[in-house]
Amino acid sequence: MDESIKRAKETSRKEFRSEPLEKIIDDLIAKQVASSPSPLMTSPYLEVPDKMVMTYKYSLGGISRFFVDLRDKGVLSGTICTSCGFRFFPPRVSCSECYGDTEWYEVNPDGVVITSSTSWYATSEFFDKVPYAVAYVKPSNADTGMLQRIDLAGRTVVEPGTRVRVVFREKRNGSVSDFWYVIEG
Amino acid sequence: MGRVAVVGTGQTKFEARVPEKTYYELAFDVAKEALNEAGITHRDVDSAVYGIYNDLFERQVMPDTFVHDYLGFYGKSGTRVTTGGATGAYAFRAGYAEVASGLSDTTIVIGVEKAQDVFDWAQYKSTPEVLKSIAYSSDMTWEYPLGVQAASSYALLATAHMRKYGTTEEQAALVSVKNHGNAKNNPYAQSPMDITVEDVMKSRMISYPFKMLDCSLYTEGASAVILMSEKKVREMGISDPVWVAGIGSSNDRSFPGFRSVNDFLGNYGDIADLRGHYEAARIAYRAAGIQNPLKELDLAEIHDAFSFTEIQGYEAMGLAHPGKGGKFIEDGIPQIHGDLPVSPSGGLIGAGHAVGATGVMQIVEITKQLTGEAGKRQVEIRNGKGLAHSIGGPGSSYCTVTILEA
Repeated sequence: MDESIKRAKETSRKEFRSEPLEKIIDDLIAKQVASSPSPLMTSPYLEVPDKMVMTYKYSLGGISRFFVDLRDKGVLSGTICTSCGFRFFPPRVSCSECYGDTEWYEVNPDGVVITSSTSWYATSEFFDKVPYAVAYVKPSNADTGMLQRIDLAGRTVVEPGTRVRVVFREKRNGSVSDFWYVIEG
Repeated sequence: MGRVAVVGTGQTKFEARVPEKTYYELAFDVAKEALNEAGITHRDVDSAVYGIYNDLFERQVMPDTFVHDYLGFYGKSGTRVTTGGATGAYAFRAGYAEVASGLSDTTIVIGVEKAQDVFDWAQYKSTPEVLKSIAYSSDMTWEYPLGVQAASSYALLATAHMRKYGTTEEQAALVSVKNHGNAKNNPYAQSPMDITVEDVMKSRMISYPFKMLDCSLYTEGASAVILMSEKKVREMGISDPVWVAGIGSSNDRSFPGFRSVNDFLGNYGDIADLRGHYEAARIAYRAAGIQNPLKELDLAEIHDAFSFTEIQGYEAMGLAHPGKGGKFIEDGIPQIHGDLPVSPSGGLIGAGHAVGATGVMQIVEITKQLTGEAGKRQVEIRNGKGLAHSIGGPGSSYCTVTILEA
């Protein structure tokens, strides 16, 4: 494995999940700035450590049902337009094709990889996951594909056309990372 | 609509980091240069359009207002455009609309971006925070939590192209070799390099099928152009300016997983094909009266954020048949001395990708080429027409194609 990936994995921000984000960033910056010589003294221009942090309590609005079904029942929900029949996955409460209304339906657990890429470099949030594959997967009873992670299971590449089946995390919090796909057969 | 001319250009060198300038100082430098070249002052400008992609890069929400103030444009109209990698091109489009509509006689379009002021204090380098600032442009509910980022967003489309048409990593590597090589003749370029296909193939994997040398880098810099109405051009006595012959824009579905449906853009193909880009090219060619782009254009700047993307761009711009983009570069057609030089500036891979400035930089390059001022990278001008192709947004959804003529 590439040396920089190894180093990145060791220093990835796992602590994000256990400590308040603001404190971690403050501590990190304070430690680096206090080191000798201070990194801020090496530039002829004044360089200032900073951060922009926002906190949220956001609403998933009309698509809430997808995430509630996912969390509570471990099923995937799509929507189908009552006027033109377009099947949306990810779901939409209004049809982008004909502006009709949609109703919910249960999406099949099996599907096909439309296309895929395996990432070997990432932001701090995903460093400890590399290599990981993202793919557009089209379920067998949907018109569209949704981005999802594929369990590489020792592979480095997932070919388009590969058949996959959904797997749900045991403890789910109602987010897209509550499920992923495994390669069939 | 009235005719619109490009009468002045300015650009900074594209560099990884420019700690000696803030974003508004970079903007000032290119504005001054472009105004000088046009023979006017900032008092003569009716309106300004700013292409600035990312508030997180600038550490400022509404950065355009502070550029407007620094440049002394108080009292005039100012608008900011942000459309991802296509920001500069869409800013140019908005500037063109200002003048073509008659709202303004003289408009300045300025693209500017910082990139590496963001900094990951844990890794002690900027790259992971740069990636994060960009990744926040992916859908925050459906896609960001899965770890998608700029490289994999483009790579997903490239993998589909490989699968559908048999495009190879070696063909893409030829684009990287060409554009790094072209950059050697561009004094404003960030990444001039003498490399081989083998170097590209051996560089480390970033997001399959992209290796390090298939990727453009993060860049800081600025570019500007002055646009003027035909009436004003005549008044000023400017002879033989470069004219905007046509602009076409089309944004495909932002979720590429929806692009395999046989919909309004289905005639152009599926997730393997830059469907909206075909549509943007069709609109631009119709406006410019171009029937056979390969014969009628003298050069093109194609948005090579990644090497494979340029191959997809050859096809969408109608320079190669669908699926034949790989052969197009193998045959040498887009080389600097080929039948249709593509990205003589070095493109994004060679010259750099200072996001908001990139699309404006392409216009500056084509203007300089069409007026014979491109120095060592000058291509042969026969018909006096050049094309700029710009991409932005998740899944390369945004596209603007601009055609200039001398």
